[in-house]
Amino acid sequence: MAEAGSFHVPRFGVRERVKAFLNAELVNILAAILFLLLVIFLLYPILAVLIKSIKDPEGLTLSYYVKFFTKGYYFRSLTNTLLLGLINTVVCLITAFCLAYLTTRGPLLLRKPLKLVAMMPLIAPPYLFAISLIILFGHNGIMTKAFGIKWSLYGFTGVVIAQTLAFIPLAYLMIENTLRSLNPNLEESAYDLGASEIRIIRTITIPLLAPGILKAGLLVFVMTIAEFGNAAILGGRTPFLAPDTYTMIIGEADFEMGSVLSVILIIPCIIIFFLHNYMLTGKKFTTIGGKPVASEPRKMTPLVKIPFILISGTVGMAIVVSFGMVLLASFTRILGVNNELVLTHILNFDSNLAIYNSIKVSLIAAFIGAMVGTLLAYVIVRGKFFGRSFIEMISLSGFALPGTVIGIGYLLAFNAPPLKLTGGIMILALNSVFRFLAVGVEAGISKLHQINIEIEEASADLGANFMATFYKIVLPLMFPAFIAGFIYTFMTTLVSLSAVVFLVSPGFELAAVRIFDRAVYGEIGNASATTMKLVVIVIFCMVILNYITKKTGFDVSQKKGSVAV
Amino acid sequence: MSSNHSVPMLMLRDIHKFYDHLEVLKGISLDVPKGELVTFVGPSGCGKTTLLRVIGGFTPFDSGEVILDGLRIDHLPPNLRDTRICFQNYALFPHMTVAENISYGLKIKKWKKNRVEERVEELLKLVKLEGLGGRMIDKLSGGQQQRVAVARALSLEPKVLLLDEPLSNLDANLRLTMRGEIRKLQERLKITTIFVTHDQFEAMSISDRIVVMKEGVIQQIGSPIEIYERPDNEFIASFVGYVNFLDGVVERVDIRPDMATASTPIGRIDFVPERNFNVGDKVKLVIRPETINISRSEPTTGDNVLQGEVEIGMYVGSLTKYTVQVKGERMIIDQANPRETGIFKENEKLYLTIPKNIHVLRKD
Repeated sequence: MAEAGSFHVPRFGVRERVKAFLNAELVNILAAILFLLLVIFLLYPILAVLIKSIKDPEGLTLSYYVKFFTKGYYFRSLTNTLLLGLINTVVCLITAFCLAYLTTRGPLLLRKPLKLVAMMPLIAPPYLFAISLIILFGHNGIMTKAFGIKWSLYGFTGVVIAQTLAFIPLAYLMIENTLRSLNPNLEESAYDLGASEIRIIRTITIPLLAPGILKAGLLVFVMTIAEFGNAAILGGRTPFLAPDTYTMIIGEADFEMGSVLSVILIIPCIIIFFLHNYMLTGKKFTTIGGKPVASEPRKMTPLVKIPFILISGTVGMAIVVSFGMVLLASFTRILGVNNELVLTHILNFDSNLAIYNSIKVSLIAAFIGAMVGTLLAYVIVRGKFFGRSFIEMISLSGFALPGTVIGIGYLLAFNAPPLKLTGGIMILALNSVFRFLAVGVEAGISKLHQINIEIEEASADLGANFMATFYKIVLPLMFPAFIAGFIYTFMTTLVSLSAVVFLVSPGFELAAVRIFDRAVYGEIGNASATTMKLVVIVIFCMVILNYITKKTGFDVSQKKGSVAV
Repeated sequence: MSSNHSVPMLMLRDIHKFYDHLEVLKGISLDVPKGELVTFVGPSGCGKTTLLRVIGGFTPFDSGEVILDGLRIDHLPPNLRDTRICFQNYALFPHMTVAENISYGLKIKKWKKNRVEERVEELLKLVKLEGLGGRMIDKLSGGQQQRVAVARALSLEPKVLLLDEPLSNLDANLRLTMRGEIRKLQERLKITTIFVTHDQFEAMSISDRIVVMKEGVIQQIGSPIEIYERPDNEFIASFVGYVNFLDGVVERVDIRPDMATASTPIGRIDFVPERNFNVGDKVKLVIRPETINISRSEPTTGDNVLQGEVEIGMYVGSLTKYTVQVKGERMIIDQANPRETGIFKENEKLYLTIPKNIHVLRKD
């Protein structure tokens, strides 16, 4: 080694210093920008709702809340909503458990078809079931007229049925997943020790599945209470929080009470979001390794088999019939009244224009969403700044926020300069971007965890700066996650109703909103045809997603539950 | 070796089992007398675990009979059979304590509460887990979990205990200890036991009898000594330890004294025939590495003496392993005690002594 003094120490000019600073700090700068976006487009709108609900011309006030809790009508909408969530969750969990038990433990012959049926609602917007119920049991419904049914569809029961059918896949997927990973030796041990099947289910299967069932329950509960379409279409005179918010804002322009309802609705959602996150990190029952034993189809006792098949069969039938009805209604003048086969609904110009608009908005949302999601995943995994987990939490929280609340929030937050967005296309896309961010971010995070950081270090070692490494190494490797986020955001934006129903402007109609309007006005054929077109597009997207899942191993279908509230 | 005159506790009669078109059990028949420990051993995929699950009632099979203590049980589900299984991964209920695990079956049989408690204490003592009844399963070590699984399987005093590779999740030392303990427990309780393992040494050390299986067929049933010393075929011979095979043709058969000679690539080998051989029979000589003696000077015994040259010598502590060239054939030789001769060097010439009581297979 020569003495240190003889080395030439290069002098950095301002340019070099800026470059070096950027190179080292770009991750953090990126993180700051993304955080700002999350604040503006996710936190600020919610804050705006909160402020609106406690402010009157004179200053801060709780008078609107007092009004909420003292006026029977408002308060009933809260109890109704919670009751709806509770009943729907219980019904969904029971049905999903029966279905999952049969598809993992039951006769081989039943497994595939039942699984297919249980997943079918995934390709439909939730309000498809409201429409099919109207076709069957509405005032002019097929069943109503055929059997002279006196029962009125519009009300609590109707909403429960539609919601259950819509959210079964969500519960089914989670329960089936835990049931499949449950070591069959555990149940066999109980069997070996003399337990009957009912006893095994009671003492082994359900206790071991409890964490999974509870998580599924929380998710279904949140989705149900926040869901807008079914409750708005079928609710009739029964008050529910989400549709009442809409009536309040759009019907009566009462922004203050609308905000109060939103805040009330968001509270259980946030509680459950935290519960759910807490449970994800919570303890799981560990089982000792060993060779995995395939679950052999076992002889189910009739005491279990018959009720399980009855429940699953009934629900499965209902799902299939619902799809069938909506399909038929798309091609008949007025199904049940005038069964003439027509193409007018399918060819309807306004319907197709709305579909076109929806695709346009969804593509914008998908592109921005996938971009933001990928970048967020990157800064969350690779960043070295304080508060990374906070950013992660916010970016994943979108699914827990009711669409109606976001809708009102955007209406309140972006109706004046500097950020005047109301009335434009961007506001329709942006709300979706930030609500449906979770899937893209999670896909990105899990993809990044597979990529060894040494790959990036090797790139830097070969002389690439941060940007070069990012574009040449990171982005290509993360591409599957980008695509997953893109398609997921596209699908959900396409069918999503609850937020955009507040934000559409006259002259620019979206498909989901059009379906909602037509369904409310009773133009079922038109609503059905537009719904079926959405179903076809979603199926197409699912096929692509499925392909990506197979290629990359990232299972987006597990997240699909948070679709379109 | 088989025990006498009593009716076997477990009888299997011509069991066939297909998975789709793949036959995984090809007509298995077996008698297990009361109190015997029988090991099913074989490479993975040989059907040993499937056979165990057939006995336990978990795997439906296509034809055959399972007879337990004189009664056909193959129509009965596991919960109505007097067999209890202990799974490889123990399958302990993770949401229950040790005592709750052990008493699970007793409660189903509606035992009185105080009797259940007594029985649990008794079992905990039996498997040396006194005082741990209140522990949760995940607070136990692997060995302790294994004991709980055994205690749980024994709780209802089954007629046959089924153990599916019970030691494979333990580390090597613990495996040895547990092996001994399971055997002691089994002998004390005189409980008929089926033990499945892929480890031939485990099978040799624990069993009354060993059932060697391959591709759904029983290859041989016999005591550990029979299996090791007199394997019925090449597969068994090489499955239980290393073996030198020599192809040969019978050249001479003497009646008195009983002696035969085979010509092999390394020369003529005399052997005591265990069955009738005829001149001209094609045979395979089974020579275990530890039965061959080596020396520098020519031995004067009446055994077969050959000359060879050391190719490789490996000192591994308890013995020295040599590869020796004998007339172009490679022989593996284990020398247990090198103290007398010292370790042979490479290329060193030596004399090999092959005993006459070697095992000889007839080639088909």
